[in-house]
Parts: sequence; structure tokens; C-alpha cells
Amino acid sequence: MAAKTELKKKKIMMRAMIYGAITATLYAAVFSFANPITELFARGGLYAALPIGTVFVFSFAHGAFSSNLWSLLGIEAITKQATQRKQVSVPRAIQKPRARLRMSA
Amino acid sequence: MIDNAIDTAKFIDLTWLNVSFLFIVGFIGGLVSGFIGSGGAFVLTPAMMSLGVPAAVAVASNMCHKFPKAMVGAYKRYKYGQVDLKLGIVMAASATVGVQAGIKIQELILNKWGEAGSNLYVSLSFVAVLLIVGSYVFYDAFKTSNSEGVDSVPKLARRLQAINLPPMIHFKTANLKISLWFTIPVGFATGLLAATIAVGGFVGVPGMIYVIGATGLISSASELVIAFLMGFGGTVKWAMHGMVDIRLTLIILAGSLLGVQLGAIGTTYVKENMIKIVMGTIMLIVAASRGLAVPQYLNQLQLMAVDKSTLSILDMVSFATMCLALAVGAVIIIGSMVKGKRAEYAAQATESYEHV
Repeated sequence: MAAKTELKKKKIMMRAMIYGAITATLYAAVFSFANPITELFARGGLYAALPIGTVFVFSFAHGAFSSNLWSLLGIEAITKQATQRKQVSVPRAIQKPRARLRMSA
Repeated sequence: MIDNAIDTAKFIDLTWLNVSFLFIVGFIGGLVSGFIGSGGAFVLTPAMMSLGVPAAVAVASNMCHKFPKAMVGAYKRYKYGQVDLKLGIVMAASATVGVQAGIKIQELILNKWGEAGSNLYVSLSFVAVLLIVGSYVFYDAFKTSNSEGVDSVPKLARRLQAINLPPMIHFKTANLKISLWFTIPVGFATGLLAATIAVGGFVGVPGMIYVIGATGLISSASELVIAFLMGFGGTVKWAMHGMVDIRLTLIILAGSLLGVQLGAIGTTYVKENMIKIVMGTIMLIVAASRGLAVPQYLNQLQLMAVDKSTLSILDMVSFATMCLALAVGAVIIIGSMVKGKRAEYAAQATESYEHV
């Protein structure tokens, strides 16, 4: 059991290191050429795809790094919570008997 | 690549102090967003503007960081079984219409009363909506905590769920069935508020809880889906106008992606009503902050005479109060996570003691 936990921890550490390195490389790449990249990404029109694509790539790498980092620090979700409420019976519309025409005359 | 000089009128020079400030605000904003589904944006835009970033660039860069942050937060909470995708998509569709209506109203006010009038309208909307909704959310959280955290379907939602008005939609994760016609006004109001005060979630989450009848956990998680879809649409628009400063976006994103995951994890540590407590607290402090900004706009419209030094103090206090709102939210979240973790350790210790 302890060996299994240790193996899991090592796996998480490896993943954190790999995604951390990817994230650091991406940030270094952008900030080394910060001025031309900022100008290029702000040209408008079809160039709009550049900042949007960039944030997707960064969020994938940095998101995976952050997730593994918190796990490595022992901060993980406690349990999968029961998010659904107990089914409460919904009040039904009161069904009144239909009015009938009396022909008593 | 040629190292061309940057347009200083549009893009600010970055210093280590600026970078650290944006990273920290991004982290705290992300933490709050991951926990309550929204928030952070209301501090980030003025925070960037306080560094000298033009308003349009601040809004665009903020929005460009918001949608990937919401995406990561939504994914994380989806894994915990808290996201109702269908609810998020249905709400986002009507919110898009609300955003358009909100923009039209803003344009009308801007044409009639100018920038000061528009700012006054935004601030008054902030104060009115946050005061009313925030007080109710806070009151409800207080009531629920008094009844030992037992959360039931609100009366209004129960009544609306009972009305069979086709088309009826079944939201599987939220475990409820309601007419589409009752989800539309909630989504519309979310979009309207998003276009006015940039934080639609302050109406969206309470709307999903009290009108539609979803739990606080599901509402706040599904709000992240709405934030992603709306943020993506808004970013496309702003980026096509060339207003995104990618440096600012990436710095905030670096902090917020760490924060949003921590906030999402935090939801599994706390009782359901803690989301309401954090949301209500932030909303009421932000309402007070925007209330402090009102005299400035009344002065500009010549409806009230206030001297310059008082206005500058009020402006500073208003911004500080806004930062305080975020900080208080973060402290409550981290505090309750620490409490939850301690309780877990205590339970584990008791369990192992009993096994000996």
C-alpha cells in the first residue's frame, strides 16, 4: 500500500516537472520576444486567432502543471460530493372538477 | 523576429512590481472564481487601469484570461461531478441576448448623459443589484447554517418546477426539471449584468439557486461554463479589434490557473452554504466599494458638489475596498479549507486509533 502511494507520488512529481518545464519554456519564449509578439497579436482581424490559440496552449500546459503541483503538495479533493439534493416532491397543480352545466329546467 | 518598439499609448511598460501585483491579483481572483464560479474580473480590470492600462485594453486582456481560466475551473469541477453542462449551455445562450441588450442600454445612456452618466449607471446598478441579491444570499446562508446546513429547494424554484409549460428541460446533474421559459430570464439577467458590471455570475449563480432550484455547488460550477462560453465570444470580438495585451493576459493567467484549481478543490472541503457565505460577503463589500464611487459621477454630472481631494480619497478607498472584498473571500475560502483538512486528519487519526 505504501509502495503504491510512493509510486503514485513519483508519477505526479514527474508529471509536474514535465508540465512545469513546458510551461516555463512557453513563458520564456513569449517574454523573450514580448514586444514584437504583443504588437503582432494586437493587429486585429484574423490575427485574433493568435492570442486565443496561445491562451489555449498555455492553459493546457500550465493547467496540467498546477493540478499536479497541488496534488504534490497534498492538496487534493477530499471526496466526490453528493451534489444532488434529495428529491423533494414538487407540489402538483390542484385538479378541480370541471364545471358542468345543469339542465334542470 | 524584428524587435520593434511597443506602442506605449496602448501597451504599458512592465516592471517586476507590476508583474508581481498582477500575478497575485490573478491568483486570488482565480481562487474566488474556482470557488463561487465568478468574481475576480471586477478587481482585475480596475487593477490594470490603475497601472496605466487603457480601459479597452484592460477589459480585453482580462476577458482573454477569463475564458481559459473558466475552462480549467469547469473541467476540474466537472471531474467532481458538480457541473451541469446542459444548464450552463442553456443559460449561456440566453445570456448572450442579455449582453446585447446590456450593450444597447449602455449606448443609449452614453449618448444621452455622456461618460459620467454611463459610469453613474454602472455604479448604481452595482450597488442596487449587489445590495439586494447579496443581502438575500447572505441571509439565506445564515438561515441554512442555523438549520445545521440542511439545504432545501427554495420555494420559488419549487413552484416554478411544478408548472408544466413546454418545452420542459431535464437537467440531469442538477436533478431537476423546469420549463425553458423560466431559465431564459435568469440567463438574460446574467448577460445584462455581465454587460453592465462585468460580473454576470453575481446574478447567474443566485438565479440558478433560487429561481431554477439547483444547489449552490452545481450553480457555481455551471457558472464557469457560462463564463467560458461568454468569455470566449467576448475575447474573439476584442481580439479582432486588436485590444488584447497578451503579456498582461499571460501574467494574470499564470496566477489564476493556480488559484482556480485551488478554489475548485476547496469546494470539496466545505459545506454547501459556504459558497453562499463567500458570495454574499464579496457582493456586499463590492456594493459598498461602488457606493463610494457614486459621488464622483454625481459631481461630474453637476448633481452634487464635492471637492477634488475628497473625491480622490473616495476613489482610493473604493479601490482598496474592492481589493478587500477579494481578499476577504480568499481568506474565508483558505480558512475553511484548512478547517476541512484538519477535520479530515482528525477523522483519520480516530479511525487508525480505533483499529489499533
